Amino acid sequence: MKYILPTVGTVAAVALFAFSSQQQTAIAVEQPARAETFQQLDLFANILAKVRSDYVVDVDDSELIEDALNGMLQSLDPHSSYISPENFKDLQEATTGEYGGLGMEVTSEDGVVKVIAPIDGTPAKRAGIKAGDYITEIEGESIIGLGLNEAVDQMRGKPGQPITITVIRADEDPLDIKLFREIIKRPPVQYEVMDGMAYLRIGQFNEKTSPTLKTSIKALQSELGGRIPGVILDLRGNPGGLLDQAVKVSSAFLDGGEVVSTRGRRNDDVQLYYAENRELLKNTPLVVLIDGASASASEIVAGAVQDRGRGLILGMTSFGKGSVQTVIPLRGGHDGALRLTTQRYYTPSGASIQGTGITPDIAISNVADDGTERRQRREADLPNSIANELAEQDAEKAAELNIEYPPEGFDDSEDYQLQRAIEILKDGSYTTLLAANG
Amino acid sequence: MFCLAGAIWLSAPFLSAQTPLDNEATVENKQAELATLQTFAEVFSYVRDYYVEDVTDEELIEGALNGALSSLDPHSSYTPKQEFQEQQKTSRREYGGLGIEVTMEDGLVKVNYATPDAPADQAGIIAGDFITAVDGEEVLGKTLNDAVKGMRGPAGEPITVTVLSEGQKPRDVEIIRQVVLGRAVRHRVEEGLAYLFIESFNHPKLEKDFLVALEALKDEMKDDIPGIIVDLRGNRGGLLTQSINISSVFLDGGEVLSARGRTPEDTQRYHAEPGEVLPGVPLVVLINSGSASAAEIVAGAIQDRGRGLIVGRRSFGKGSVQSVIPLHRNGGGALRLTTQRYYTPSGRSIQGQGIVPDVSVDFRPDTGDARERFREDSYPNALTNASKDVSYKENPDDIIYPPEDWPETEDYQLSQAVALLKSPRYGSLLSAQNSHKLKP
Repeated sequence: MKYILPTVGTVAAVALFAFSSQQQTAIAVEQPARAETFQQLDLFANILAKVRSDYVVDVDDSELIEDALNGMLQSLDPHSSYISPENFKDLQEATTGEYGGLGMEVTSEDGVVKVIAPIDGTPAKRAGIKAGDYITEIEGESIIGLGLNEAVDQMRGKPGQPITITVIRADEDPLDIKLFREIIKRPPVQYEVMDGMAYLRIGQFNEKTSPTLKTSIKALQSELGGRIPGVILDLRGNPGGLLDQAVKVSSAFLDGGEVVSTRGRRNDDVQLYYAENRELLKNTPLVVLIDGASASASEIVAGAVQDRGRGLILGMTSFGKGSVQTVIPLRGGHDGALRLTTQRYYTPSGASIQGTGITPDIAISNVADDGTERRQRREADLPNSIANELAEQDAEKAAELNIEYPPEGFDDSEDYQLQRAIEILKDGSYTTLLAANG
Repeated sequence: MFCLAGAIWLSAPFLSAQTPLDNEATVENKQAELATLQTFAEVFSYVRDYYVEDVTDEELIEGALNGALSSLDPHSSYTPKQEFQEQQKTSRREYGGLGIEVTMEDGLVKVNYATPDAPADQAGIIAGDFITAVDGEEVLGKTLNDAVKGMRGPAGEPITVTVLSEGQKPRDVEIIRQVVLGRAVRHRVEEGLAYLFIESFNHPKLEKDFLVALEALKDEMKDDIPGIIVDLRGNRGGLLTQSINISSVFLDGGEVLSARGRTPEDTQRYHAEPGEVLPGVPLVVLINSGSASAAEIVAGAIQDRGRGLIVGRRSFGKGSVQSVIPLHRNGGGALRLTTQRYYTPSGRSIQGQGIVPDVSVDFRPDTGDARERFREDSYPNALTNASKDVSYKENPDDIIYPPEDWPETEDYQLSQAVALLKSPRYGSLLSAQNSHKLKP
């Protein structure tokens, strides 16, 4: 997600501001294109006036407007929303300072928050929260249908502050669990030498990601005696983060050239992002691991590596979050802010990530094919998510992937995708495969 | 959803932009109002200008209105022109022939009632379940109308809904759509007593059917009816006029209910016709948590006027009136807005509380786990009751449960109603209720 914080009022269409005053109605008459807009705003004002005068109890105007704004924005797509003045303040603090969390990766399934995995050494892990648990209530209030962002917001807070969540697990009664929020420290990059290969795992794209990646690569180089024969970049489960970090991470593997472009509705609303001319791992064979939970910034990196023929993408089709949200403060944040989807991401070859995600060069599943369709929920599964506007691309990607499954009897706790990545780097098939996919 | 407002169409005194919105509005009020509208207009114009895709003004406003109105209470909503016209064509309340009544809650479709033996009921769907997807398409983020659209369709065709029951994982359920029809009145002689079941107050011929059924019972029982049972269990309400008509059968004039808005002037009183059928014949009205709206009006009137005893469990508590306001000037949609609350003749608000039976009887044994039924006050954003005294709740200790070995197929509440009508307790309870109830 990219947050743009423009100064107030620079982009506001002033003509529509005072639609209820008489002087402005003249504008609506003079501009036929505005007539429908006027009628719609008039309808809104009319109904509001009706509610104010006739509703069975007194209503709070600002609450009513807040609910209207939420209703309007949530009808657009799952990532647009209204941020109340209070939450906007918190958001500013969250991007600048530190906040406490519970330490688990979550997703939304059928409107219910589901735990992907608790993170080691965090309150969630210590409290025994398990992968696959459903979280249905926070402080006794149902969060079913609340939306993932809002639910996550509610779970965050000041470190040390207690929170009670209700967890539902298959065949068990709902469980109330009290946890104390903590600052969740996750190194954005972890590294390790595996079978003589350099393994790098990026968990998220924050301010520290690119610097940590650089030091990690240096450490790996010295551990491997100066020469790295092959790199595995693990982006599985990485929900994304900052756009500039995605560009910087891509720069480690690309010598200049386009990484990603973002394009809005208008033709002139295009921004191109380029890699720096300082490739850290020139000519080193590269395998990028992705899965259905690799989203946003992760997909930018994978898309750039794939489109530029720099390495092989291995794993499962990524999440497909290819849209940019802009945060627009209203009256300097005094009236809260608007989080609005304004652009889509495009890979260097011009493919839109939105809805379709990145298709791996080598499709390999980490779990056995037991006949049941084991579908990871992706962007396109979110209700009213924005479609990928390139229709052929949709059709092309929808074509059946030839997925390789772990052999029967494969130990579930082992990482099949990673094992296959190492094999490909070691057995020499990398060059052939890269040529075939280039 | 159980809209009594079919009969109470408010004409819409529309205010043009040139006339003041409210004569009594102070300058301060108007400024505050303008400020809130400005915030809205600002966001609206940002979205129009910068959203990643083209959006129509209509879609945006519809989303906004749905957001604002659904936050007020579960029964207020905005209906765009096309859907409003469709709604006017069909007054059917059941959606899609599944035999369920639904509302939107937390962005999901919530089942409030499953018609007995209808397809959904047979597929194991119960009140309180959430429907998260229809034929694989998620409902989250949709309006109620859009969400249920997928459930409507020709009878005989299968449909798959994803059902989320409390404490369980979502599951897919395949259901064959059927035409779900309710009869206006069903009657029979039950243990020597007259038994009449009213499924809904939506039927236009309800009063006539009811009187015909009473006549048939009189014939059958050779003009000797020792007691009457009117069964309103699971009755979701319907037309206000029909609830007054049915109350009129047993009441000799007098108030049946009042509907009161925000201001004291906005009060309407509804009265029974003079004259009554079968005066003095002992009467029991059966209710449960599924008895709502018009059904609660009848039960409340019978109870408050001392005409009979109410047996069963606390009713649903839908005591609000929705006015359907057509928006002629603004494109022809309609606003459904909660404008009034219902009050029983003694001045109790039905909203959220419902009618508490004179004799509380459950239909199944007490298993120990407090199984709370879905009622109006289960809605997170339900309208409050407004009465100062809302102490007339069911006392859990007063509830009579069937013995543990009571067969499921036997109607325990009905058997208790029969026993009550046949015992001298009926008379003593009725006079006891009257003596403490008729305090002003």
